[in-house]
Amino acid sequence: MSESNPHTPPVEPGPARRLDRLSVTGRATLAGAVAAVVLILAIVFGSRLLRDFDSALLPYAAASVFLVFGLVHRYTVWVSAPAARRLFKQGWRSFFSAENFRRAPTAVPRMIATYLGFQKFLGARSHGRWAAHQLIFWGCLLAAVITFPLTWGWFTFTSPTGPGPQYEWRMWGVKLLTFDSLSFFGWLLFHGLDIAAVLVIAGASYFLWRRMRDRGAMTGQRFAYDLLPLIALVVISVTGLLLTFSAIFLHGQGYEFLMVLHMISVVFTLIYLPFGKFFHIAQRPAAVGMQLFKYTARQDEKVFACRRCGVTVDTDAYVENLRGTMRDLRLDFDEWAEYCPRCKRVLRGSAYLENVKKGYK
Amino acid sequence: MMGRTIFIDPGRCIGCQACVSACRECDSHRGKSLIHLDYPQEGQSVAALPTVCMHCEDPVAPCAEVCPADAILVTADGVVQEADTTRCIGCANCVNACPFGVPKIDVTAKLQFKCNLCYDRTSYGLAPMCATVCPTGALFYGTVEELREERPGVQVVDEFTFGRSTVRTGVAMVVPAERARWPVPGGLPVVEVNGVDVR
Amino acid sequence: MNRPTIPLDPTQAPPGAQSFRDAGGIPADRWHADQRGETLVPTHCCFCGVQCGMYLRVNEAGKVFGMEPRNHDINRMRLCPKGVNAYQQINHPERLTAPLIRGSRDEPFREVSWDEALDFTAAEMRRIQESHGRDAFGMLGGASLFTEKTYLVGKFARVALRTRHLDYNGRLCMVSAAAANKAVFGVDRAGNPFSDMLVTDCLLVAGGNIGECFPVLTQYVWGGRDRGAKLIIVDPRETAIARTADIHVALRPGTDSAFFNAVLHVVIEEGLVDEEFVAAHATGWDDVVRCVREYPPSRAAEICGIPESQVYEVARMFAGAGNAMACHARGIEHQTQGVENCLSVVNLIVATGNVGRPGAGYGTLTGQGNGQGGREHGQKSDMLPGGRDLKNPEHRRQICEIWGIDEAELPGVGTSMMEMVWQMQRGEIRGLLGVCNNPLVSLPNHRAVKDGYNRLEFHVQLDFFLSETAANAHVVLPVTVWAEDEGVTANAEARVVKHNKAQDPPPGVRTDTWVLCELARRLGAGDKFAFGGSRDVFEELRVATAGALVDYSGITYERLEETGGICWPCPSTDHPGTPRLFEDLRTYHPDGKMHLQTVEWHPPADVYTADYPLTLTTGRTVAHFLSGTQTRRLGGLVEQTPRPWVEIHPSQGFRNGDPVRVVTRRGSVVLPALVTEAIRPDTVFVPYHWPAPTAANVLTVDALDPRSRIPEYKVAAARLELAEHVDEVPAPPVPPGRAHYEEVQAALSDPLPPSASQGRGTAERS
Repeated sequence: MSESNPHTPPVEPGPARRLDRLSVTGRATLAGAVAAVVLILAIVFGSRLLRDFDSALLPYAAASVFLVFGLVHRYTVWVSAPAARRLFKQGWRSFFSAENFRRAPTAVPRMIATYLGFQKFLGARSHGRWAAHQLIFWGCLLAAVITFPLTWGWFTFTSPTGPGPQYEWRMWGVKLLTFDSLSFFGWLLFHGLDIAAVLVIAGASYFLWRRMRDRGAMTGQRFAYDLLPLIALVVISVTGLLLTFSAIFLHGQGYEFLMVLHMISVVFTLIYLPFGKFFHIAQRPAAVGMQLFKYTARQDEKVFACRRCGVTVDTDAYVENLRGTMRDLRLDFDEWAEYCPRCKRVLRGSAYLENVKKGYK
Repeated sequence: MMGRTIFIDPGRCIGCQACVSACRECDSHRGKSLIHLDYPQEGQSVAALPTVCMHCEDPVAPCAEVCPADAILVTADGVVQEADTTRCIGCANCVNACPFGVPKIDVTAKLQFKCNLCYDRTSYGLAPMCATVCPTGALFYGTVEELREERPGVQVVDEFTFGRSTVRTGVAMVVPAERARWPVPGGLPVVEVNGVDVR
Repeated sequence: MNRPTIPLDPTQAPPGAQSFRDAGGIPADRWHADQRGETLVPTHCCFCGVQCGMYLRVNEAGKVFGMEPRNHDINRMRLCPKGVNAYQQINHPERLTAPLIRGSRDEPFREVSWDEALDFTAAEMRRIQESHGRDAFGMLGGASLFTEKTYLVGKFARVALRTRHLDYNGRLCMVSAAAANKAVFGVDRAGNPFSDMLVTDCLLVAGGNIGECFPVLTQYVWGGRDRGAKLIIVDPRETAIARTADIHVALRPGTDSAFFNAVLHVVIEEGLVDEEFVAAHATGWDDVVRCVREYPPSRAAEICGIPESQVYEVARMFAGAGNAMACHARGIEHQTQGVENCLSVVNLIVATGNVGRPGAGYGTLTGQGNGQGGREHGQKSDMLPGGRDLKNPEHRRQICEIWGIDEAELPGVGTSMMEMVWQMQRGEIRGLLGVCNNPLVSLPNHRAVKDGYNRLEFHVQLDFFLSETAANAHVVLPVTVWAEDEGVTANAEARVVKHNKAQDPPPGVRTDTWVLCELARRLGAGDKFAFGGSRDVFEELRVATAGALVDYSGITYERLEETGGICWPCPSTDHPGTPRLFEDLRTYHPDGKMHLQTVEWHPPADVYTADYPLTLTTGRTVAHFLSGTQTRRLGGLVEQTPRPWVEIHPSQGFRNGDPVRVVTRRGSVVLPALVTEAIRPDTVFVPYHWPAPTAANVLTVDALDPRSRIPEYKVAAARLELAEHVDEVPAPPVPPGRAHYEEVQAALSDPLPPSASQGRGTAERS
């Protein structure tokens, strides 16, 4: 990126910028480390000083610490880039605005529900993809809610009557409820992961099938970025299901091997999560901020009209924000953002006709 | 710099919009036409201007730079890809920052679309749909040498001025020989007469 | 606070950057790119006379779902928007899939079996012919049919129906050029192939909007210019090719022969005539010289409304070029002096000695896909297969021998298409079989045409969509689209190309060949119509043309597939075909000479008065084809150009988008104004692809050229009035019980004119 006028050499990043960049990495590392330490402390105290901690789950817990470090690190780097930083700030500003809340108290929850929960926008892309993504989304959410507290030793299931069927569900040592493992609720609780696995397998298989056939999806498709996450999800879910199958029908045959396989796939996925496609899980919620920012400005009816033809470009605040971003990035044609795309093209076209050539030669 | 790319010559364009229909037929974005065709002299002449993504090289893809979600990837061959579906949040930063007015956005799907040089075709050595069907050669795909073989002595420029800044692009435009040493005007600054933007 | 609720979703974006309805009318998520096991079927486009090669993409289920450019000699992978979208007709939801029948025009259609429809049709044919004479039943063919089918149309009318009243819609297209070429050269065909444009030094195009009507031909024009050729365009509008031409002569419509006479006048005056050539190869030169002496540039300037200097410039540029070519199209042909206009261009070519060399000669730009092939094999009122003459006793004898009929049974010469309509009005023609045409949109003076058709006692129409004409018929028989049958066409170069079958027709749909043979069988001529398909017909056609002027006998399907096309005459299977005529400078007249004809300009038929001071001219736009029955149903094309408009010069005082009533002596239409400097101030233009009430042909005059019988579409006296609101464009008719394909027709409600004559810019679509 540089202002490349043929007469001036490209601008090297100055010492100040380099320092800035360094400090981004530093800040990110620090933030990641803090988050990791917080998680470790939460594990230690949440498991009542490791009394409830299952040492067999240690690799999972360690991977989750890595995961948190990676996620926070990458997130910090991400929101430090000009475009993301500005929208991130504007999003929070809109979120914390008391006036906004007074005017539209339900806006944020509704956005979260439609956008993050039911992902309506995916339906507009394709109904099939929406359905498959919903399966994966709810499956993963269910699995995460069950497994993370378990691996961190936050949940315990103990039977005061020995081998059951009565169980006590405790969190941080505090009894949440008692249930009969043979009841429907008990079955659901114990087989929550199996249900999650079925949902995920269905969704991920659809996406894999699509990535084998749909030429649009296959264009520019990369194995590590596009296929690996789907394969990882399928492997985790299948090995997880096989563990149940082995326990119930094979009297534990192959259980050890499957457990190792399952663990490897889960640990790999957790470590991979901050770096590949899965990072959108962390990134996506910030989009609600962007939406809120635009929504707020629209409530004030502050829409920005193209300077030439008068059609609506976007909101005032948005165009101002974009121009700031462009200036940050030294894209010095930020004034151009005040024109609609069509006018940009038409102006360029007529400039060509006037200054370059009118006719054929 | 210029490898195999699109060369645009508005002087040859007859505005027939074959490119607009053909764009829709490309398997990498089937059903969506991403090329633009404008008539910049409405009311005066039938002159037309096709606009494909110019695949900016310096600065590298302003659209990608202003993307808050890092959704726009530039592949090693210099092709600026369309937004990654998992990342794009539909904020329209790219739509309004692009100096050439290229990206489109589906606001309900919260997804940007733009010309990806028909990546499913070009990555296998085929020409993009628009340049394949263009009846006039206003859109030509190939190397500059191949272009000159068809049109002896033709000159091309891959730099555009927008006010004080210059953008160097992957896609080039045909210019008359005497204009080959200067960048092509990008339309900014806009000429104003009595406070009205004209051109 | 009382403000409208703002939806959470979606966010804003500039118009043009956000619309994806331009997905051909089909919602974007219903376009599938999952195309495993696809096959590519090589074929050609179904539309104009360029006949671009293309592949149709066929999926595993055997259905056509897309197209792929094809590197064929003619088009080198290029296609126009019509060609790109052509495949969408094939599995279109508005296709006719069962025969439709009704007792009278007031009743709705009902679907019936093929047997019932054919029996009823044959019975009606017999009834009308028995009570009113054989000639009371007419037949109209079309030039978008494969050549085999055009041959069959001619044979059916003469052998099965035995009526003299047969004509075809090429009457609205090529007949003026044909008559002129026949008169001068003794053959009706373009002299030179397209590729000669690449090596010419000067190309003159008269009345041809190549950029919109033959878009793919533009690459040849540009290719010539890249190598230094000069370009001269004669057109009242500044079209896409006129915009950058070296000379653009924006003359008043209907004055072309005065202009070309004046050009020849200057050529003679300045000593630019190829005297040697003329003396050796032409007759009638002295008369021509005497005639054009009366057309000095000053007179042409006055008649044509152009600067005098342009006459000199054109004369010097054209006659001064080493090799020069001239092409003409409907602009100069659609006039009551259409033949004369063509003759005046041909005179210029011959006088400058530009015949029979690479880059020197002439081209006729046929409008319809098979405009050339369709007029060669006897569906024209006065012609028999092989370019034979129905009046020539020798020709009659030859054909009767081949067909195995008695010469007395062969009917005589009939009337032209427009004249047949007048005969319908007078009750002389009471029954009609229409194949592949849509006269209720395409014929001039719509009111007369509608009246004529409404008076028919029985009207049967063959089509694959319910065209406006079919919707007015008693019986409609659903037939195949071009991709569901095989056959040949001849493009504007007279290059015969092979179309291949890409998919089976939908259930209930039959080929035109099958329908005509079945009808012939019911009329008692089954033995003469024992054809299994196109291939059988083509074999008979080869025999029928052997030794004739238009000789197809050396052309076989296999050779066409090997070569990519062969230009007739091709008398034997080892003959390479004849891409360029007159290379030996001999014409097809017995004396081998070019028979020059004198041309006197006369004013157009529709008289200008104070009430009708302006000239209305009509034509095509790039996104639509002829009567639009095919293209007005394809989403991408409707979106590009949803409706007709009237093109007006700013000096007429209207604003862009104003509803303007165009009035002629025949009727009036209210259209949105496209105000542009790209048209003569005294001329207005309306495109003709839409049906009444927004039809250009509500306005046009049904005056005919006395020789070619072509109507004067290009000149009508008119005036303009500001109106309240524009006339609504009707959606194309659909079969009973079938809903409109709404996504496609959504753009119709738009009242605005296009951004330019080629359509709307991509950001200006509603």
